[in-house]
Amino acid sequence: MFKFIKQYAETISNVNIYPIISLVIFLVFFIVLLVLVKKMKKERVQELSNLPFGNEELTNSNL
Amino acid sequence: MQVEKFYYDNKVVKNFAYATILWGGVGMLVGLWAALQLVFPQLNITQYGSFGRLRPLHTNAVIFAFVGNGIFMGVYYSLQRLCKARMFSDKLSNIHFWGWQLIIVAAAITLPIGLTQGAEYAELIWPIDVAITIIWVIFGWNMFGTIIKRRERHLYVAIWFYIATFVTVAVLHIVRSGQLPYSWLQSYSWYSGVQDALVQWWYGHNAVAFFLTTPYLGLMYYFLPKAANRPVYSYRLSIIHFWSLIFLYIWAGPHHLLYTSLPNWAQSLGVVFSVMLIFPSWGGMINGLLTLRGAWDRVRDDVILKFMVVAVTAYGMATFEGPMLSLKSVSAIAHYTDWIVAHVHVGALGWNGMLTFGVLYWLIPRIFKTDLYSKKLASYHFWLATLGILFYAIPMYWAGIQQSLMWKEFTEAGQLKYTFLETVTYMKPFYAMRSIGGTMYLAGVFIMFYNIYKTVKQGKLVANEEAEAAPLPKVVEKHKGEHWHRVIERRPIQLMILSLVVILIGGVIELIPTFMIKSNVPTISSVKPYTPLELQGRDIYVREGCYTCHSQMIRPFRSETERYGEYSKAGEFVYDKPFLWGSKRTGPDLAREGTGNLKKSDGWHFRHFREPSSMSEGSIMPAYPFMLTQELDTSTTKAKINAMRSLGVPYEKGYEKFANQELMTQANSIRINLKIEGIEVPANREVIALIAYMQRLGKDISNNKTPTTNK
Repeated sequence: MFKFIKQYAETISNVNIYPIISLVIFLVFFIVLLVLVKKMKKERVQELSNLPFGNEELTNSNL
Repeated sequence: MQVEKFYYDNKVVKNFAYATILWGGVGMLVGLWAALQLVFPQLNITQYGSFGRLRPLHTNAVIFAFVGNGIFMGVYYSLQRLCKARMFSDKLSNIHFWGWQLIIVAAAITLPIGLTQGAEYAELIWPIDVAITIIWVIFGWNMFGTIIKRRERHLYVAIWFYIATFVTVAVLHIVRSGQLPYSWLQSYSWYSGVQDALVQWWYGHNAVAFFLTTPYLGLMYYFLPKAANRPVYSYRLSIIHFWSLIFLYIWAGPHHLLYTSLPNWAQSLGVVFSVMLIFPSWGGMINGLLTLRGAWDRVRDDVILKFMVVAVTAYGMATFEGPMLSLKSVSAIAHYTDWIVAHVHVGALGWNGMLTFGVLYWLIPRIFKTDLYSKKLASYHFWLATLGILFYAIPMYWAGIQQSLMWKEFTEAGQLKYTFLETVTYMKPFYAMRSIGGTMYLAGVFIMFYNIYKTVKQGKLVANEEAEAAPLPKVVEKHKGEHWHRVIERRPIQLMILSLVVILIGGVIELIPTFMIKSNVPTISSVKPYTPLELQGRDIYVREGCYTCHSQMIRPFRSETERYGEYSKAGEFVYDKPFLWGSKRTGPDLAREGTGNLKKSDGWHFRHFREPSSMSEGSIMPAYPFMLTQELDTSTTKAKINAMRSLGVPYEKGYEKFANQELMTQANSIRINLKIEGIEVPANREVIALIAYMQRLGKDISNNKTPTTNK
């Protein structure tokens, strides 16, 4: 399948860097995600979490 | 705005609910039978009912039939309500339902007759793979159609989980199904050896992630708040849960291959991400359990909540254990043992099973406009299931650890203390106890059959449930500085593409280098392609599911090299399509079965296949007397050699023409060996091919004069 590209990649040097790169990619992704989620407005969050209930009245709710 | 009237389709939900109950019962029954076979090997009745063929039937039935139909039941119910719209097309719903059931029936026929690809959880043959692809696309089409015509602007978090499930399962299925057919029913894997192993466990692990986990998390986020009648504890946490879970899961596959011939860098990658996976998993579990904050008193009386609480707790336990098992030092002990069997059953029985039951008890009375027939019976079911899980898991944990310690124990003189067979016979009482746990769990399911039957009888299906909602305005008002996630929430296609990108990052970084870089699989010059007879024998090994109990991968531990010989090298497997490293040692490793101390005579193998306990007293291996009488099908040899050559195995041009001639020469030499040992059997029997394969195992490297190392 990859026959034609294969010949250009004979060795993989400094392979230990792979897990580190992966970790960095994830951490950046995760931090950006955290910041964005943190910035969400409270009313919006409440509205979204009530979606399963449609127009029903919630009983026993702490809201 | 004018309110529109429309109807939810409950009929398709009912169909999938019945299917999940039916196939759940069947899948668990097969599992119980297979468990009993390990205690009483005489229960391996005929070739169609031997353990190696039933075990894949059990796993496929539970994963794709029980959980699969459970997913569709939950998705079709919740998606319509969350989108405030009927399913996009009744016709597609019907094709999806019947298509999926036909696939299950096809699996239930092909697996016992020995048609398999030999990859765990991807055993189904290529025509069924094609059917799965078509039906999966129909499911996606129906789902996106519904989402597009929805009357609710925002997509609730459950729908994101459904979308990620759809797109990732599609990618996994296509990559794993990469096969070259050599007949109308059978094929060889595109990948070989180490690469096949990496693809397999990238697939296998993510089948757990995206078939058994993400869709059920979607169900949890919908049905748990509904049953508890309160919104999810933290919607913010659910967003973090979703994105980090799908990002991390896809990388974790290599933890199934620690200490194997997989390149070290890929193993490390798998470990790092598996350990990190605990955070989103536990975030999700905590989010589920805290949804019940202030309502724990209701859990005491409400059996549905009880099921759900145990489900979420089991999810938490399994996802704590998973990262722990991914640590190399823990894997060294647990891999190949029954510990892993315990682990997956906490997930399947606890998380998937209990959540399915909870949803069924909640949903069936609602679509039949009635009350549950008996809460008491449901409560009995709950206790039987919960105790059943414990009675199943505890003996298996015990057995797994004990087995591992026995494998690794040396005497003071520095010799292995136990033979493999001694460790097997020691396991029998634990296998018996496990069957009791399984029986209890299954008894609970039968009680549920009755309870749901009675509930259905006393109610009447509301096939089309009336609902009202205002349509969405055509033009979307865009607010300045609108939050990013609001934008994504409104756009299902963008959400799908973003999920796809997130899962592809992991997949690409993991898979591509292993495929492209030569140094990942150091070649060994003495490793040669299989002879035609060995190739046929290998395919019988696959057909009989020998890999479900025997590994072919010796890890570099003294306890293993002492028992089995030199540890396995990546270069040894370059012609293995599929790879057969296995994942469980119910029987011993076979990687060096044809060499060194392990080598046995042809006659030993013959007698062992005819009646294993005659050669190894107390063996629990099934007997294969039918292979002594069944003729080897040599009409496939030519097609097999041609297919292997197209896949890069260096058989010379034109070799296929005289391959069968060579096959018979080799078969005759085995026949003569057997005759010397006092066994009369024609050369064209299946057992001869299998003996040839057994004698080949590990031989290449023992011929090699220069030392070989694994990079």
